[in-house]
Amino acid sequence: MSESPLISVRKLQKSFGELEVLKDINVDIYPGEVVCVIGPSGSGKSTFLRCINQLETPTGGEIRYKDQVINSKGADIRQFREEVGMVFQRFNLFPFKDVIGNVMMAPVLTRHKSKEEARAYGMELLKKVGLESKAAVMPRMLSGGQQQRVAIARALAMDPTALLFDEPTSALDPELVGEVLNVMKDLARDGMTMVVVTHEMAFARDVADRVIFMSDGYIVEEGPAREVIEHPQQERTKAFLSRFLES
Amino acid sequence: MNSSFLGTILPMLFDGLKLTLLISIVGILIGFVIGSICGYLLQSDHPIGKTIASVYIWIMRATPLMVQALYGYYVIPKLLGIDLPSTTVGIMVIALNSGAFMSEIVRGALAGIDPGQKEAGVCLGLTDVQVMFNIIVPQAFKVALPGLFNQFIISVKDTALLSVIAVNEITHQAQAYAALSFKAIPTYTALAAFYLVFLSLLILLQRFVERKVGK
Repeated sequence: MSESPLISVRKLQKSFGELEVLKDINVDIYPGEVVCVIGPSGSGKSTFLRCINQLETPTGGEIRYKDQVINSKGADIRQFREEVGMVFQRFNLFPFKDVIGNVMMAPVLTRHKSKEEARAYGMELLKKVGLESKAAVMPRMLSGGQQQRVAIARALAMDPTALLFDEPTSALDPELVGEVLNVMKDLARDGMTMVVVTHEMAFARDVADRVIFMSDGYIVEEGPAREVIEHPQQERTKAFLSRFLES
Repeated sequence: MNSSFLGTILPMLFDGLKLTLLISIVGILIGFVIGSICGYLLQSDHPIGKTIASVYIWIMRATPLMVQALYGYYVIPKLLGIDLPSTTVGIMVIALNSGAFMSEIVRGALAGIDPGQKEAGVCLGLTDVQVMFNIIVPQAFKVALPGLFNQFIISVKDTALLSVIAVNEITHQAQAYAALSFKAIPTYTALAAFYLVFLSLLILLQRFVERKVGK
């Protein structure tokens, strides 16, 4: 790819006390790319994602966004977070706001959009995730899958350049996973840059451009999605994927 | 009960009630501000603020309100070489005392909010202040409300203890009248009725507000 990366991670390290979770992570994320991060529990996938937008402060290394270092002292991480959205495993919707209120809040506060404008755009996004009829409903009345789709619409309301997904379907009942993955597939098709930590191997294989396999704080293997998932080269990757490949 | 008795006692009690209301309302409002700030500091990672708040709360919780009133009226003005009217001291005592207890209520409410709420806010590009006032406070307030109202009710009753520093609140007025007239039974019955009515209104207000916020 000739373009310069949107997000570039170099020598990323993260320790919690004695525990080294990330040891040496190097990744480039290019515009329009869908990258899935897979690996066993405790391998550091979520920590890696949370270090990118500094929900966790990296212990070492460098993260660049559009060629600006964003994890140095004095860097404007808020600006980065405005431009790169995040979707959480447990949705984290605001329980005291209705669905449209959740989607409208950030554009009104940070972009100083008028409420009418934010509402109109919010309704458009809810339509996109198939929930325009739920605009006035409180989040607790929705299923997990619906809540996650609202969370995606909420992130899209900021017109992000990229979205980070932290196990977006892991908290869902199995029959609700599909509706969320479908919304994510639509986003991928529209060219959204996405970094997805996931256990959905079929999604990674079919939707991702690239798959990163992490284990014990390192990237063990990475490459084109289908290649890594169907023909892993490393023993650790083979062992991890064996259950999926057999089925 | 003849009409001349009522004609004397009621104006006295109403005068006292005005002062009770003034001290309660102003004291509790200031206490709420103190409690919000200290409650925030307690659950923050601000080392100095946390220590100051902890020491203040410790002193207030570990001394009786009546002693705080005596100390605030007879000792502190002497040490500072100033003159403080008893009403001012009364308001300050209620404010500082209720503030300490409200700090704990606020701390608990803030600490009880899922950290994912803050994360969702900052990940949308909100500033810490925007997260606090647009996401955390509306949720914490709802949690804190029953505890805060409980403290309001306690503080209104605590104003009766300010009679030890000669604040002419309603209990002090009743005591003065009972001592002069030897009519303890009707005087204190009237006093109890005043409190009962006022505090019942506060309890009704609590139910109303909680229902309004709870939906």
